[in-house]
Amino acid sequence: MTGGPLAGYRGIVLTQAWAGAYCTELLGYLGADIIQVEVRRRPDSWRGSYDAPLPEQLRDVPSAQHAWNCNPLYNSVNLNKRCVTLDLQTQPGMAVFRGLLEHADFVAENFSPRVLGNLGIGYEEMARIKPGIILCSLSAYGHSGPWENVPGIGGTIEPTSGMSALLGYPGGPPLNSGQMYPDAVAGLNAVAAILTALRHRERAGEGQYIDLSMQEANLTFIGDAALEYVRTGRQRERLGNRHPLLCPHGIYPCAGQDRWIAISCHDDAQWNHLTGALGLATSGMAGDARFTTLAARKANENAVDALVASATRSRERDELVAALVAAGLCAAPVLSGLEIGADPGLRARGVVTEVAHPEAGTWPQAVGPWHFGRSGTAPVRPAPLLGEHSFEVLSQLLGMTREAYDALVDAGISGVGPPE
Amino acid sequence: VTDFSDSAAAAWCSRLLADFGATVVMVEPPGGHPLRREPPFDDRGDSVAAAYFLANKRSVILDLEQEGGRQRALQLARRSDVVINSLPPSRLQERGLTYGQIDRPGLVMAHVTMHGMSGPLAEVPGDELTVAARSGWAGINGDANREPLRPSGHQVAFCTGVAAYAAVVAAILHRDRHPGEGQEVDVSALDVMVSTFAPALLRAGYTGKALGRRESADITAGPVPVADGHFALTISRAHFWRDAMHVLGLDDLAEDPRWETSWYRAAHKEEYVDRVQEAMAGWPKHELFRELAARRVVAGPVLTMAELVENEHLRERGFWVEAPGGERFPGPPFRMSGSPWALRSAAPRPGEHEREVWG
Repeated sequence: MTGGPLAGYRGIVLTQAWAGAYCTELLGYLGADIIQVEVRRRPDSWRGSYDAPLPEQLRDVPSAQHAWNCNPLYNSVNLNKRCVTLDLQTQPGMAVFRGLLEHADFVAENFSPRVLGNLGIGYEEMARIKPGIILCSLSAYGHSGPWENVPGIGGTIEPTSGMSALLGYPGGPPLNSGQMYPDAVAGLNAVAAILTALRHRERAGEGQYIDLSMQEANLTFIGDAALEYVRTGRQRERLGNRHPLLCPHGIYPCAGQDRWIAISCHDDAQWNHLTGALGLATSGMAGDARFTTLAARKANENAVDALVASATRSRERDELVAALVAAGLCAAPVLSGLEIGADPGLRARGVVTEVAHPEAGTWPQAVGPWHFGRSGTAPVRPAPLLGEHSFEVLSQLLGMTREAYDALVDAGISGVGPPE
Repeated sequence: VTDFSDSAAAAWCSRLLADFGATVVMVEPPGGHPLRREPPFDDRGDSVAAAYFLANKRSVILDLEQEGGRQRALQLARRSDVVINSLPPSRLQERGLTYGQIDRPGLVMAHVTMHGMSGPLAEVPGDELTVAARSGWAGINGDANREPLRPSGHQVAFCTGVAAYAAVVAAILHRDRHPGEGQEVDVSALDVMVSTFAPALLRAGYTGKALGRRESADITAGPVPVADGHFALTISRAHFWRDAMHVLGLDDLAEDPRWETSWYRAAHKEEYVDRVQEAMAGWPKHELFRELAARRVVAGPVLTMAELVENEHLRERGFWVEAPGGERFPGPPFRMSGSPWALRSAAPRPGEHEREVWG
């Protein structure tokens, strides 16, 4: 194992919140040295405000001292990075940043489109400093077009990408996801983009600029619904948990408070197994013509759902999942965030791992979703404290002396934690 | 690339490989790729999902249940840089197409499965619905007083497909730098969706309370009704609040300094949400979006496909491309200046490239 397929590459990144931060976390997990540049005057919005309270479970953790190092949102998507603070709006801060760029294979950022240009450090300038550099810009609507400067976040990209119009209960209004899903979509696509650019550089010897519009990346994830409109003139309806072909295909209540099971039947044999396991095969539905074929069930889907729910309602969720899985059905518990942290299967796969954070303590976290047979992945490291690696990185990459670093700190340009 | 897979997730992985320049040969069973049978269908009876996921690829038909088919599959795999599989471990072994059985030096083989090639669920079947349930996403989507709601359409497949594409490119990059070193990569849909669930997972730990589904259908939870549809107004910064309230004609709310702080707004939302939504209800969505965007307030209308296809911004960016044959087709997920995405061919007919592939 070599510490990940990207071992030896370095990114100097200006990513924040979810989409950009998640992208660069995953590149770190693949082995790249990710140096995240943050600003003390205006911390990453996912660090929260400096005067925010600590999360409930951390109030009795003695090492948890600073809310900005203990925000679960920030700490969830910034594993495997080093954090340097630099104020790029100052001349010395920008000079240091330009020095760091000489050591970068790629840069990622998710500012509003005009920010880098205003700072005088757009792609052309970066490429002049470091020939062959790759810049990936993530923004709401991309770096051209009439909406270029329209601000957006996951909660507004979900509606404007067409996704919200497809999410919802049948007959109900359009919905947004329970957390800002379009950010995750943009982050995964940005990983793909940067890897593609690194590969192109290995072969062709040139860097490039990547313009990732969150709206467009998300629109490609409903491209089949787009083609449906182009070919038939129909807007796809909100289907809830239903499937265009299969039935039953839903989420049904189990015994207890907010306990649910997801069940889908892919053929008649599975339907027979399901009704058998639910004790329905011997009930009045046995000869009911509404349920005998897939076509009949699909035509009577409300009745099918009501029938299945009537039987699952009294069943213990995990026992029923086990019985249905043993019968070859697709069935699963609807897990909560707390259950996912404790799930033995996810821990066995390694995607959920205990991560020890110097302030927040040890908690189960989700890491990158890959297993590489030969290159492995980088050991998991906790999210950095604000400015934790400022001196380490500046001395290591730029040969900066302690005195020069202290002068930057005194001027409020670098340092650790909030401004003095 | 030789693609033996039969899932939407793996199909999106190989679609991206094709979009960025690889020659992808898709091996279909005699009945065709399962996506070809998935509704909805267009007027010619073709599946729109198949048209989307299978574009840009070549197609040959092989019966991998037969020894002859298996031999030809091995032949194809042995002249490939990348092989894509979607079968769980036991069925892959039975089929005789494991990494060891293919035995090609330098080969990158991606296993794109529901639950991975190891772990207690490796042989357990799953689909979009069950992965949404196990990964936490279903539990937070929808209304608290109703059943959990899975993400729409093929979201699990798309996320997994992109993650698998990234893994394949990373493995090729490894091989570029270490000539001759191929490897297997194992990407599961459940792992990918749990990875995207990371913020809600850690928040559950730090707060001791799992995120649930929304308790009320107001502006703090998503789009609300306006004159001609639905609209999301996600107030975060103080100036968003001030400017939005002025636009809506609610000057008293705009000027009251208590409402500038987000925690105060969250704690007392019952004092304003009804008034704000009443004011929004009179606005046409595009007009409200224009007014708010001019003030750089984060907001957005719920757009339909008809609106997106005609959307001035996407048109000017050239998002919609013309597929061979002249059909309008969704464009690239991201724009690369040096090695751009390209749609070169529509989804093939099953077996369309037999002659070309077998020569």
